[in-house]
This record gives sequence, C-alpha cells and structure tokens, in this order.
Amino acid sequence: MPLKINPVFTEKVLVRFIREELGKHGFRKAALGLSGGLDSSVCAALAVRALGPKNVLGLIMPYGDSFAADVRDAEKVARELGLRTRTIDIAPQVDAYFAACPTRSRVLRGNKMARERMSILYDWSARAKALILGTSNKTELLIGYGTVHGDMACAVNPMGDLYKTQVRELARHLGLPASIVDKPPTAGLWSGQTDEAEIGMAYSELDRILDTMVEGRRTVPETIRAGFAAAKVRRVAALVRGSEFKRKMPPIAKISSRSVGHDFLYPYDWGR
Amino acid sequence: MKVALAQFAPVLGDVGRNLETHLDLMDKARRAKADLVVFPELSLTGYTLKDLAADVALDPASDRRFRRIVEHSRGLSVVLGFMEESPAARGLFYNAAAFVSGGKVLHVHRKVYLPTNGLFEEAKFFAQGRDFRVFPTPFGRVGLLICRDFLHYGASYVLFSGGAEIIITISAAPGRGVAGTDDGFETSRMWELMGEAISYFSTAFVLYANRVGLEDGVSFAGGSFIYGPAGRLLARAAYLDPEFLVHSLDLTAVREARARWLFRRDEKPEVIFRSLERVLRAPED
Repeated sequence: MPLKINPVFTEKVLVRFIREELGKHGFRKAALGLSGGLDSSVCAALAVRALGPKNVLGLIMPYGDSFAADVRDAEKVARELGLRTRTIDIAPQVDAYFAACPTRSRVLRGNKMARERMSILYDWSARAKALILGTSNKTELLIGYGTVHGDMACAVNPMGDLYKTQVRELARHLGLPASIVDKPPTAGLWSGQTDEAEIGMAYSELDRILDTMVEGRRTVPETIRAGFAAAKVRRVAALVRGSEFKRKMPPIAKISSRSVGHDFLYPYDWGR
Repeated sequence: MKVALAQFAPVLGDVGRNLETHLDLMDKARRAKADLVVFPELSLTGYTLKDLAADVALDPASDRRFRRIVEHSRGLSVVLGFMEESPAARGLFYNAAAFVSGGKVLHVHRKVYLPTNGLFEEAKFFAQGRDFRVFPTPFGRVGLLICRDFLHYGASYVLFSGGAEIIITISAAPGRGVAGTDDGFETSRMWELMGEAISYFSTAFVLYANRVGLEDGVSFAGGSFIYGPAGRLLARAAYLDPEFLVHSLDLTAVREARARWLFRRDEKPEVIFRSLERVLRAPED
C-alpha cells in the first residue's frame, strides 16, 4: 500500500537523525516554532525523544490574539512533552512595518509574518545555543507550499521526507492528542485559512497523486490513467514544477574553473 | 576461526580520527580473540566524500597512517576501506578495500561498480577498478567486494570460479524505504537476499560489513551479516546502531557443503567464458 510507513522504525531513524546531526555540529539543543499544528507538534515530540525535554525550546509566535485556539494547542503539546517554551507576539513588529508600507495583500502579509517568525527563531536559537529544526513536510516541499526564508528556513529538517498523511500516522504513533492529529491543517497566514481549501484538494488525494508521480516516477498522463482527476493531476504537476526554485540554493553565475555550487563540491557533514 | 564485523560510523573526511578508531577496534578484536576484523566501505575516510576524495586519498605502501594499521596487524587480519591513490596512477582516486594480515598487505581491491544515479555520485569523483581476484590468506582463499559490487552477481561468480571460500563485502549502504513491517529499511532485505543466495550457490562463507551513522541526512542501514556455506544465516548485527559482531566460523563447513552440493565441482567456467565472449562479440546473436 503506498504511503504506508512503519512508524516505530521511522521514529527510530528520525530520532537518530536529530541527535546525530546536532551532535556532529556540537549542539545538544534544538529550537523550533510551535504553531499548535500537526507538523511542529510531531517535530517537537521527535526532538524531545532525541534530546530530552530540557534541550528543546519551543517558540510560540502568534500574531496578536487572532489564533488563540492554536496557541492553546501549542501550549498543551509543550506541556505534555515537557519542553521549554517562550511566547512572543509578532504583532508589534509586523504592524510597525505595515504601518510604514501598507498593503491589502494577504499573501504579502502572510509571508512577512512567516519571515518575522524566522528571524525571531534564529535569534533565540543563537541565544539558547540551539539549532533550528525545520518542520516542512514532503507534501509542502514538493508543491512549494511554504515561504522561502520563512517557515522553510532551518538548520536541519527531520520532516521533509514524510508526506502529510505519513506525518499524521507518525503523530498517532507518538501519542499526540487527537485535537492536534485531526485538526484541519492551516498555514496560519490569515484567520480561517486551511491548506486543503487553498490547495483545492484533500491531503489524502494530494499525497497519493504526489506519491504516484514522485516515488512511482509516473508522467502526468500515466498518473491520470492511474485513476486521478485530470485537472487535479495537472495542477499538482504545475505546482511542483513552479516551485523548484524553493528547493534549491540560488544559481551562481559561473565565471571561473571552480565555483561554489557547481564544481566546488563538499559534503555538508565535512569533517563531522 | 573467529571473525569480527566492526559496524561503526566513521568521521567524514578525517583519516586521523578514523585511524585511531581502527586501532582501538583492532585491539578490541584481539581481546575478543578474533582472527579477522572487517571494517565497512571507506572506513578510513567516510563515504560522502565528493571533492574530499583528493584530500583523503593515500598510497597504502607508503602512507604513514596506513602503515600503522599494517604494523598493528601482527597476529590479526584486517579488511578495511580507504581511498587509494597509488604512485603508478597519480590523480586517480579509487574506492578500495585492503586485506592486511601479519604486517603485510595481501591484496587491494578497487571497487568496480560505482553507483552513479539518484543519491549516488561515485563515478563523478572516483576512478573505476577493473578486476576481481581471489587471493590466499591464512584462512583459505578469499575474495573482496565493495558494496555495489556484491549486487552484480557476476562479481561473486568470478570469485566463486576462482575458488573463494570466503567472500567479504564491505559496504556503506544507505537505507531506503520504511514501509516494511519488520525493523530495518526495506533495502536491507535486498542485501540479505543476495547474502543468502550467494552463500548458498557458491558454497562459501559470505561476510558483509555495513556501516551505520548519518552523512548529509542519509542513514546508513547497518545490519551486517555472516552467512555460512549453503545459505545459513549465522549472525546479524543491529540495524542503525553500531555493533561489534563477533562470531566463530567452522571453515570445514565449506568442504562439507561442496561435497554435498556440487555447484563447485560441476561448474563450467569455460562454457560461461565462451558464451560471454560470444555475447560480447555479437550481443544480438
């Protein structure tokens, strides 16, 4: 069955990944943004298993009071996992900026908020001598449903090879509260936003389309013949193609015989 | 005889630190009264080298660090992985395995099949070996393979034809696929299947030393194993975690297996050779 994971073994791999990747680079602590949603809750649970609750810092970063229920969920998860949290309201800095440079675009406002959260997260990771864990899952990465240098920014990402539905399966195995596991996913960029409404299909369907095209290496026509709605398959394929830039380091104009990113090629874990 | 499989995680690109680990684990093998200790692929350098290949490459005949392992091998045999650059082929970097015993390098095998697709990029950075050869050791005739070599069954066939009684594969196999119901990555089953089949049909011992740890997000699967002649799993190390697996081998088992299953006696390498020649001359024939 596609998308099925063995959650026990998956947990084992990801816990080692967090512990070893941080340890190799001289870190014992991790920091991550806690939204009260599925991905950050799962990531926090894995981090606690890898590093112990005292070594995980959860940053809760609401915009004013607009997501009070999510803040309560984030606090609940943090309490159950026993990790340290700090709550920082991003409204003053976001409002100060948009007072000077007004816009009515929800997307611009949402991206700005994601990048404010990023800058706070980086600041606190340095204060706490922690590395930032990314919480972007494979579905988001593939369709580009994230803000570059915003929620996509991190030091290491334990979640990026798990589709959303697999993250949910892992969440159940990790014993996260049902209120988190079954909550409609939202990017939290504006009130009432849900991922599935914005993307135009349910994650269960989106993930099966992606799995067919990515793991199954099927073309668009083959994927449609496999039984998915043509319009949805084409839309997903266009999202994947259109967001490749978000998954890459920016291209560097090649001038010399040996250039960063082209033919100066060293491993990330060089000397580790 | 007693063998030890040293399933561990080398430091990427740091020969000095890995050398110390090798010497420590050789001492550990001695304490466990092992006659042979097998390290994983590129155990002296780590795997995901890319351009580091040039920095960590060494000549086993003259390199001082490598000589320390050779000198430390009195009364103990060692198989280890390293990046080879010989004086006869300067600027060519081979993913190599050495069999070292009693203060001498008995054999160096250069990896022939360099995986270069998907997450693998070996042929982009490494030179390609061109030979499979069986050589005499204190424990009988041995053949060495490196990781992907083992998955091309022709390689094991050459060793079998050359009379290998022990086929040793050193490996840095990354794990992929987590849908399995058992512990371990789905890809681990592929190696075990080959271990079972090759040991069965070449009536030889198969030793497989894989590494663990992570490099650039990729987890190495562990699960090193020993199959006895005729496909019997004798021992298997943990998946993912380091382990120093020690096991006794009864070398008379090869004789027993070959007397009972006549694959070795009845093998016709000359027929295979002639047929292969024809295939190579006229693949459409």
